[in-house]
Amino acid sequence: MITQCKEPFSIEESLDSVNIFIRKWFVSKYKEPTPPQRYSFKLIKENKNVLITAPTGSGKTFSAFMSILSDLMNMSLAAKLEDKIYCIYISPLRALNNDIYRNLTVPLNEIYQDITLPVKKISIGIRTGDTTQSERQKQLRRPPNILVTTPESLAILINSPKFAENMSSLKYIIIDELHELANNKRGVHLSMSIERLANMIGHDFTRIGMGATLYPLDEAARFVAGYDGEKERDCFIVDATWDKKLDFTAISPVKDIVNANDTVVDNAIYRMINQTIKKNNTTLVFTNTRSGTERVVYNLMKRFKYSEEHIAAHHGSLSREIRLGVEDLLKKGKLKCAVSSTSLELGIDIGTIDNVVQIGSPKSVARAVQRIGRSGHSFRDVARGEVIVTNRDDLVECSVMLDAAKKHHMDSFTTPKNALDVLAQHIVGMSQTKKWSVDEAFYVIRNSYPYHTLQKQDFMSLLEYLSGMYVGLESRRVYAKIWYDSQEGTFGKRGKLTRLIYYLNLGTIPDEVAIDVMTRDNKWIGSIEEEFLARLKPGDIFALAGKTYRFEYSRVMKCYVDPAPGEVPTIPPWYSEQLPLTYELALDIGSFREQMAVAATRSLSRKSAISLLKKGTMKPNEQAKKILDAMPLNENAKFAIFNYFMEQILYAGYVPTDRFLLVEKTVDEEGERSLVIFHSLFGRRINDALSRLFAIALGEMYPIDVGINITDNGFVLVVPSSVKLSKATISELIKNACGMNMRLTLTQNIRRTEMMKRRFRYCAARSFMILRNYKGKKISVRRQQVNSQLILKAAEEISRDFPIIKETYREIFEDVMDLPRAERILKDISRGDIAYKIIETAVPSPFSHTMITFGEADVILMKDRRRHIRELHKLVLARIGKK
Amino acid sequence: MKLDGDVEILDGLPLLHIKSLSALICSDLHLGYEGVMADRGTFLPKVNLKNIKDIVKKGARLADPTTLIVNGDIKNEFSDVHVEEFNEFRDFMTFVTSETRIKRVVLIKGNHDNFIDRLKKPLGFEMHTQEATLGRYLFFHGEELPHSSAGKFLIMGHVHPSISIFSKIGAKEKLRCFLYGTDFIGRRVIVLPAMNFFADGFSVNTDQDLSRLAPIFAKGIDINQMEALCLGEGEILNFGNIGKLHNIEI
Repeated sequence: MITQCKEPFSIEESLDSVNIFIRKWFVSKYKEPTPPQRYSFKLIKENKNVLITAPTGSGKTFSAFMSILSDLMNMSLAAKLEDKIYCIYISPLRALNNDIYRNLTVPLNEIYQDITLPVKKISIGIRTGDTTQSERQKQLRRPPNILVTTPESLAILINSPKFAENMSSLKYIIIDELHELANNKRGVHLSMSIERLANMIGHDFTRIGMGATLYPLDEAARFVAGYDGEKERDCFIVDATWDKKLDFTAISPVKDIVNANDTVVDNAIYRMINQTIKKNNTTLVFTNTRSGTERVVYNLMKRFKYSEEHIAAHHGSLSREIRLGVEDLLKKGKLKCAVSSTSLELGIDIGTIDNVVQIGSPKSVARAVQRIGRSGHSFRDVARGEVIVTNRDDLVECSVMLDAAKKHHMDSFTTPKNALDVLAQHIVGMSQTKKWSVDEAFYVIRNSYPYHTLQKQDFMSLLEYLSGMYVGLESRRVYAKIWYDSQEGTFGKRGKLTRLIYYLNLGTIPDEVAIDVMTRDNKWIGSIEEEFLARLKPGDIFALAGKTYRFEYSRVMKCYVDPAPGEVPTIPPWYSEQLPLTYELALDIGSFREQMAVAATRSLSRKSAISLLKKGTMKPNEQAKKILDAMPLNENAKFAIFNYFMEQILYAGYVPTDRFLLVEKTVDEEGERSLVIFHSLFGRRINDALSRLFAIALGEMYPIDVGINITDNGFVLVVPSSVKLSKATISELIKNACGMNMRLTLTQNIRRTEMMKRRFRYCAARSFMILRNYKGKKISVRRQQVNSQLILKAAEEISRDFPIIKETYREIFEDVMDLPRAERILKDISRGDIAYKIIETAVPSPFSHTMITFGEADVILMKDRRRHIRELHKLVLARIGKK
Repeated sequence: MKLDGDVEILDGLPLLHIKSLSALICSDLHLGYEGVMADRGTFLPKVNLKNIKDIVKKGARLADPTTLIVNGDIKNEFSDVHVEEFNEFRDFMTFVTSETRIKRVVLIKGNHDNFIDRLKKPLGFEMHTQEATLGRYLFFHGEELPHSSAGKFLIMGHVHPSISIFSKIGAKEKLRCFLYGTDFIGRRVIVLPAMNFFADGFSVNTDQDLSRLAPIFAKGIDINQMEALCLGEGEILNFGNIGKLHNIEI
């Protein structure tokens, strides 16, 4: 059962539950327990599974470790402490592991100073990819009582027979930064490792999950605790998310963000960041991408003459030394400002931050709260933050987001369920440790929360795949990674190389070939994928990191461009670095639009409104002011939002909302392409599904390929202008799409899309079909690159239900898209619960601009390949004829 | 598609049929490819041989030849004959001689076909190391220039030609093709597409330098004057001269 804790234990009760030496040290250091600690000390002491969500500075580490240290101390004093691992702590970040090591070692040393008896001390060890060989040997001979590690290292340790012995007395397992794990395949991988560990040592242990805001909490708790057969393991939820007070504002850098040009906006943004840096001792700036981080650092230095001693970047692409250096400077309070993409979002110890500046929308309420919560030293301080928006849609999004945060409305996460690629890795791992009966293995797997609903048949198909049944007998020597006896219902290890394949290829983060994008005077702008580069022709305009560039030429692994400000991309990107907007937030924005639309239409006459807009003196009317004043916004932001809505109303006549779908037929700037813009503000995960369905429906009406452009705010269908679309045909299109079975139609039609190719490659790599390291040799991504479309085609020849293909569809429908919700929205449209209106515009309306410029693209090719090639042939001949 | 009274491309297949030789001509099979890739850590499902058999079977049904000419790269690995290559090679030979009326298999050695001389006897094929003139046709693989001045019609493989077509809405389609030129110092030339399932081809109409791959394009043949005869579904489509297809966008 999952239990949400409501009443904390008293301070005395909490403190009484821990060992006296530790209590004394704790009280001398901290006086009294923090709110989460007043739950956790006693719960963990009683060996309850616990989920603790709390902001930075709320004593999370001791919330989890206090009772464990107390238990181990009691053992230490009673001379019962052996050289065994009693507790495993797992975090997704090596840097965090180093912090934890230090944060436990120092207190323990202080505590032991009070103990004069000669006792065996509690030992702590770190095990990550960085751990040296000699250190590993030492740990094997004399294992630490508390092992600090990463998900990947744990997956290796549970496959080491020698190490397994050392874990036989395990009592506690702690997963930190749960919000970074529970929503992705890395967490799924970890969850399975933990269940395998429990099975291996033959007894259960206390499970503790820690993280920042993570909703729904009971899902997170289930993830931590898992199942025991059909029974859900108990777990207690300690939610201290809101114990730290937050103070934040959405800021528009300029008054008129709708019409201001890029340079003016940029100048204002940097000026504002600089003001904040100057006002405070230490400022932490968050961007949404790594390239964004680099750009901000570069600009702050160049514009305001800061040196490297004042400002530093911190993100995953930087070397470990640089990152450690930055963390150290922050801790010492020597840095004025650090700029980060996501790496400093997690709980790494970085000293006191006075203010957080977020540039652009962080796309979810939870992330906004998490990032802003990095400021303020303890949970008793107020965390201060500003979100500076970069464009008009960003402005509306961030405003609604912070408003939701103020009201404690959180968005939800989902865990990938029954991911077959991750499971393939574990089956290979399991087969190495013993001979398994299929039923026992299936039982263990289903104890893991992400696999609790796994179908037996899917599990069997993985056994068949891994045992090489898809190739002839004579080739299984090389292909098979396990042996599997379907008669006896058993499986086990096969091949000398397999152990190494498991060690060197496990993990869930896919490799990519990144091409550096440079200006011709050699300034780095960001990176694109090799496959995207393959599509670029000289002269093509594309968007990168919020700006547009003209492609000039490419040299080995580098792509040279000229800035092309204000131009509309001729080729939109195939993949977005940005995270998708959450559904809950999308709906909130939709209803905000509705309120604003009602308020704004009460405005003045059309004529005077246009004149005011032109003069730039339009101010929010009374009703709008009421709405906006209640939100955490600066004055510029209020002004800009109102103007944005007024422009849309005056130009298009309608404001799209979550209950009203505006469909706009228009043309692009060059007049070469017709655009059908669906203002469906439901977030990218839903628009991804909807856009493809509508493109397929359009492809069935005309013999054409249909381009799509997907954003959080809507999607665009792109067709050659030779195709004459009318309001009537679009209306027919909507009706046709509404009559389709979404899952079936998408399954049949997305085979040849970019998304399918990319995702299939990821899944094939995770399923050990494409290795990155074999026989001890690293294989570059380039070498792995047999055209993934052709590998997919080859796999289909084996079976359409080949587990890797099945997983690719699952990943697309459930992780990339949100198919169930997209289906519901389609139903709402067909039933009229979501009304729609088709309009025609001469140029795209204000609400559609960012969609056209910054959307993520793909193409739905004509389904009939024979017809498709013939059509190409016809068009090419027509084109050549013209020349 | 008939090229003249004696030579035709079989509809939709990467195969040439020469009546006077009673021969099917194919190129770049790279048998054993998946096995070689598996040894390097990419475990591709095995489909290449099966796919090649299907193509040859279709071709044999259409043209009823007695000879099969493989214009180079029947196998893949440079350094040795991999066990998977041997197995597939043998399988392929058995298939050809038992399931079609083909009696004679001629191999023009390609740059991948090292160390196969010793298989000639046991597997029963004819081999020419550089090039071969059969009737009025000069067969050569293509990594080197042809030496012989004999032959009115040059037949080559090696480059795995295909063309790329970009579309305004952002798609890119790659089509395998024959390259066909009618005047190379008075001789005709045709370049065969790859038979290999996994070789989607080398785009000859984008900014890639073909002459480094095959010297004949540096010495004598203007690629721009050659026609792209593309493999459609069950048909061959003439896309016209490469010169006009340069980075084409529709």
